[in-house]
Amino acid sequence: MSNKTITFKILRQDGPNQPSYWETFVIPYLPNSNVISCLMDIQKNPINSEGKKVRPVVWECNCLEEVCGTCTMVINGKTRQSCSALIDKLMQPITLQPLSKFPVVRDLAVDRSRMFEALKRVKAWVPMDGYHDLGPGDKILPDHQGVAYKLSECMTCGCCVEACPQYSRDNNFLGAAAISQARLFNMHPTGKLIANERLDSLMDDGGIAACGNAQNCVEVCPKSIPLTESIAEMGRQSSKRFWKTLFQI
Amino acid sequence: MNSHFFARRVHSLTGIIPVGLFLVYHLYTQLYLHQGAEKYNEHTNAFYDSPLAIWLLIIFVYIPLFYHSILGAKLSIEATPQPSYHYFSHLLYWLQRISGIGVLLFIFAHLYNTKVMPLMTDTYGQHFEHLAEGFASAETGWLTKSVYLLGILGATFHFANGINTFCMTWGLALTPRAQLRVRVLSIIVFVLLTAVALYSMSAIW
Repeated sequence: MSNKTITFKILRQDGPNQPSYWETFVIPYLPNSNVISCLMDIQKNPINSEGKKVRPVVWECNCLEEVCGTCTMVINGKTRQSCSALIDKLMQPITLQPLSKFPVVRDLAVDRSRMFEALKRVKAWVPMDGYHDLGPGDKILPDHQGVAYKLSECMTCGCCVEACPQYSRDNNFLGAAAISQARLFNMHPTGKLIANERLDSLMDDGGIAACGNAQNCVEVCPKSIPLTESIAEMGRQSSKRFWKTLFQI
Repeated sequence: MNSHFFARRVHSLTGIIPVGLFLVYHLYTQLYLHQGAEKYNEHTNAFYDSPLAIWLLIIFVYIPLFYHSILGAKLSIEATPQPSYHYFSHLLYWLQRISGIGVLLFIFAHLYNTKVMPLMTDTYGQHFEHLAEGFASAETGWLTKSVYLLGILGATFHFANGINTFCMTWGLALTPRAQLRVRVLSIIVFVLLTAVALYSMSAIW
């Protein structure tokens, strides 16, 4: 065992709407650890750098393999999943902050309801009106499948909106993830039945027109989803609808 | 579609048509600076002598420019800084906003220099002389030159980068490859327009 240590600076908050404060923790170094394993170590022995026993740090995690998106936080200033943030690849002291675009529940746990509300707004589902046998579905060609599969990897983690300068606590922008999901379901053979309803949501307040083209979303997406391509594609679909409705009224 | 969407699409459109096209035309006419005072004034006054000139300016320049500036300034103020994300497109995003506000301020100075001041001194029509005197002034020449240089650079950048975001907004360039092509195009436009503008300015530098 080496006597190396890992230093964390964590932005903590005791509850919703409470003031936040920084707290430092120094824990023994273990090889191949990630941010979550270190948070677990802090949880077992919650003593801060001043030797004071404090309330254990709260965070959320689930899959531990970067597919659920739950453990997203701001690590050393950048938004990412803490499960795939390996200590050996991080500069110390490691700073941990909750996502800044969502209300903090406690410490590093945030309430990302707004993202799920955005998915509801764009109707990111395939409409079904019953459980009866609808027969075989449409054939899906491999090139379509390739695009759709990539889009379906979105885990609503919040990285895209966290890095977005257009997405803020006091506006109602849908964000890149929801726009990309609207694209996914608009290309689905059954999902496209309500394509125009999705476009109407995208063309509403805080919809696709609120995008400012900073393109941070595509840079920080942990799943490398072509978000700017999705935004451009939905921009094209809404442009078509824009001209159509303009000359129908 | 609602007013939020409509307002922003009109904002995007007015930036290229007609304001962007006006910029290109305006930079083209400044090439007359190289043909001397007489030719330059003759050409410029020929436009203003037309009874339609004022209406053309109001409909195709002042109103769209006013709309584009007001909404653009509002959107710029509402943006949330994300200082820890150092990506090229993100840099362009902020430069677009800073240059937009900078160019708006420049336009006020420019209008004062070429319209308000000549009208007040009753020397309107001597366009070449006003520009050349402003540039040659011993006390404030350096300031005028710097302001024009920054204003022109800001305008050509804002327009060139605007072509890029326009193609993204309207869905003209979809794939990352297509977006790269548009970016290359916008760089060419930026370099060409800036070169033309600097060449024109060299006549009275």
